[in-house]
Amino acid sequence: MPDTLSLDVIDADGAIRETAAAAAGDTRARFLAKAGLLGGGLVGSSALLGLNPATAGAQGKSDIAILNFALTLEYLEAAFYTEAESMGALDGELALFAEVVGAHERAHVKALKAALGSNAVARPRFNFRGTTESASGFAATAQVLEDTGVAAYAGQAPRVKSTAILKAALAIHTVEARHASWIRDINDAPPAPAVFDSPLSMRAVLAAVADTRFIVPARRRRRRRPRRDTPPAPRFTG
Amino acid sequence: MTAARRVPGITGLAAALAILLLPAAAAAAQEDFALSEPGAHMWRWATVDQRTFARAAPNPGARVVARVSTLTPEKTPEALPLLARREVDGRLWVRVRLPVLPNGTTGWVLRDRLGGYQTVRTHLIVDRRRLTARLERRGRTVFRARIGIGQSRWPTPRGSFMIRNRLSGFNDPVYGVLAFGTTARSATLTDWPGGGFIGVHGTSRPDILPGRVSHGCIRMSNADIRRLDRRMPVGTPVSVR
Repeated sequence: MPDTLSLDVIDADGAIRETAAAAAGDTRARFLAKAGLLGGGLVGSSALLGLNPATAGAQGKSDIAILNFALTLEYLEAAFYTEAESMGALDGELALFAEVVGAHERAHVKALKAALGSNAVARPRFNFRGTTESASGFAATAQVLEDTGVAAYAGQAPRVKSTAILKAALAIHTVEARHASWIRDINDAPPAPAVFDSPLSMRAVLAAVADTRFIVPARRRRRRRPRRDTPPAPRFTG
Repeated sequence: MTAARRVPGITGLAAALAILLLPAAAAAAQEDFALSEPGAHMWRWATVDQRTFARAAPNPGARVVARVSTLTPEKTPEALPLLARREVDGRLWVRVRLPVLPNGTTGWVLRDRLGGYQTVRTHLIVDRRRLTARLERRGRTVFRARIGIGQSRWPTPRGSFMIRNRLSGFNDPVYGVLAFGTTARSATLTDWPGGGFIGVHGTSRPDILPGRVSHGCIRMSNADIRRLDRRMPVGTPVSVR
C-alpha cells in the first residue's frame, strides 16, 4: 500500500469515486441511467426522513449525488460504531454513546439507502486501524468523525435543490450535531466550540476521509492475460 | 481525557486523529480480549496488509515464530484467523493462528499490519471417523456431505483451521471444479508443491467417496462442493475432528 493515498487508490467498490464524480458534474451514462431509476426504492425507512416517491422522485442527479455522499459518510460512521460496540474496549458513558449513536447511524444508513433505492452507492470495506479497540482511540476518532459529519451536512445543505431532501438532510444534520456535542462533553472538550460553524465542501470531506485510510482500497485488477482453456488446478495435497 | 481539547480543527482529519490518539501510547498492558467467540458462533479474521513477523509474545523483541506474507502460495490475499487482542505500551497486538507447521501454532502480530476485521458466523466441521463434513451457520447445520479424507500414511490433520481462499475456473480429475484452501498443512507431505496445504475440493471420482482416499485433502462431489460454495465464505473456521 502506498504511503500517500489518493481517492483513486482508496475507492472501494466505486462508492467515493461515484459520489465525487457526480458532485463534479460527471454525466456518465451509467450514472444517468441510475438517476433515471430514482423513485423505485423509496419505501420503508425513507418515510422517517420525510421522503416519499412522489416528492423525491423529481430530484436531479446533483441531489442524488449529495444523498450518496451522505450515505458514504453514514456507512463509515455506522461501521465504526458497530465495530467499536463489539470490541470490548468501551465502558460507562462511552459504551452508552457508542450504542446510542451506533443505532442512529445505522438508521441513517437504512433511511438513505431506502430513499436512494437502486441509486445507492455500495458499502465500502473498512479498516479502522485499531481506533475501535481502545477507549482513547475511540473517543478521539468519534469526536473527529462527528465534527466532520456536522460540517459535511452544513456544506451540502445549500446545494440541495429539493425541499424534501433538504428537510431530510437537516433532520440528520441536527442529530449529528447532538452527537458531536455529546462526545465532546465526554472528551472534556467544549461542546459548542464556536459561534458559527464552518461548513466543509464535499471534496474536502472526501479528501479528509481518504487521509484516515479507514476505507479499504479496492484491490487492483491485473491486466487479463490471454486466457488458457482452463486455469491451472490448485496445488493442495489433493 | 483532557487531551481532546487539543483538537486542531476538522479539516485535517488524519492529523487530528494522530494527535488525539497520542494518549494511547501511555496506556499500560491490558488483559487479552477475545476476538473470536466460538460459543457465540462468531469468528473474526483479517487479511495481512504488510508482511511481518509473528512473535511468541506481544513484544517487538520477542522470538519470531514465523514470517507472515501478504499472499498465499496461490497468490490470493493471506487471511489469518484472529484469536485475541492485547494493548501493550499503547500498541495493539493480535494473536493469530498461523498457517505453519506444527499445525495450531499461534503468534502475535501488530494490529496495524492487518486489514480490517471481518466476521463470519459459519463453521465447517469435518468428522474423520464418520467421513462427513457439516457446515453450521449460527450453530445450525445448513450443509452436510459425505467426504474423502487422507489415507493413513497421509492423514488429514486434526485441529482448528480456517478457509483462506477459494479457487475456481478449472476442471481437474483430482480437484474437481472448485477448491477452498485452508490454513492446515500436511505434516507428512511437507515438500508438496505450494507447501502441502490441505484443501477442501470437488472431484470427478465421486464413486470412491466416502473413504480414506486422498493425500490429506477433503474431497467431496462436484455437486456438493458447489452447494458448499453457496453457503461458505472465506474466513470460515474449519474444525477437523
